[in-house]
Amino acid sequence: MPLHKVSIRIDGEYVEAREGQTILEVARAAGKYIPTLCYLAGVSPSGACRLCVVEVSGVGRLLPSCTTAVQDGMSVTTNSEKLARYRRMVLEFLLTERNHYCSVCVSNGHCELQSMAAKLGVTHVRYPYTYPALPVDVSHPRFVLDHNRCILCTRCVRVCDEVEGAHVWDIASRGIRSMLVSELNKPWGESKSCTSCGKCVQACPTGALAEKGWAVEEMTKSHENISRLAVKRGVRV
Amino acid sequence: MPMLQEQEYVDRLVAEYQGRPGSLLTILERVQERASGKYLSAEVLEYIAAKMNLPLSQVHSVVTFYALFNLEPQGENTICVCRGTACHTRGSRALLERLKLELGVVDHSEEADAADKLSITTPDRKFTIRTVACFGQCALAPVVEINHQIFGHVNERALRTEIDELSKGK
Repeated sequence: MPLHKVSIRIDGEYVEAREGQTILEVARAAGKYIPTLCYLAGVSPSGACRLCVVEVSGVGRLLPSCTTAVQDGMSVTTNSEKLARYRRMVLEFLLTERNHYCSVCVSNGHCELQSMAAKLGVTHVRYPYTYPALPVDVSHPRFVLDHNRCILCTRCVRVCDEVEGAHVWDIASRGIRSMLVSELNKPWGESKSCTSCGKCVQACPTGALAEKGWAVEEMTKSHENISRLAVKRGVRV
Repeated sequence: MPMLQEQEYVDRLVAEYQGRPGSLLTILERVQERASGKYLSAEVLEYIAAKMNLPLSQVHSVVTFYALFNLEPQGENTICVCRGTACHTRGSRALLERLKLELGVVDHSEEADAADKLSITTPDRKFTIRTVACFGQCALAPVVEINHQIFGHVNERALRTEIDELSKGK
């Protein structure tokens, strides 16, 4: 199928795009900044975090730019007072949903949730914290899974499935009870399909997945390598 | 070994639905319907996943997403108490508490605030108590469903009579 060119407007500027590209891809290529958490270049988008919402004129509701394809003549606003308010609210909900205590987290200082909150000006949270009682899975010899820090972005799920091909992870249950599980809700260490490649750890934006025994200063992650690998394998551009 | 029977049945279903997207749901449903205790054991799930060449985690994800699938053996009789708003205002919480006392089951999920999705079975596997958000029969509130039959305007005495009938009938 030949790829048609479409032209859209992003924040008033005319931008050329290929049909089938998402708003996020086109906006980023044009040098626009749209905040994201669940988006990971190289794996399929999921639209889970709702940080990348944009306004499209003629559409009453906000659309997630990572899963919305461009259409000819579309006019997109990537930044406005309303969007900033919505994005801050998304972060507030993420912060209250589980126990995100930065000071005792291995990802303190390297956490995408933390730096995003700082960047978008989330100085405080207006909602009560839920303090769920969540387990920490230390059964894997090399890695640790701390459900308290998980934001259910499913980056690990998609990386494991689409890049590594193991599909160890998935999200069980739904709503507030959603949990990351390996295989049939078994301890990670007992998983037979896990290759211990560590891509999920590198893909994780928070301290939910980390190397065992690493200090805060060491626990830096690099998901750029995963994106590069995925693109090399032709998974997705 | 009942597992062998299950395997044959699963093999047949997988062959029947080969290549049809979304067939996992149908297969899981039919296997559960046939299983004693009306539930999907870990062994059965593992077998289905292997047979359908699906990741275990994906099968688990589907099974836990839909309320119709059970991962624990169910009782012979299912009593489902509506915890929707209308039934709540007409005293369904008291009914549920009464039911738990009557059947002598302890609800461990209370501290986890799982009141809207409860499923507990008596140790003798006679009864399973469940809750549901709404039956769509709010005019009959409070509503209790016993073995797929709807009872409206239920009070504690009526509930007790039904339970006695069911325990005697066994």
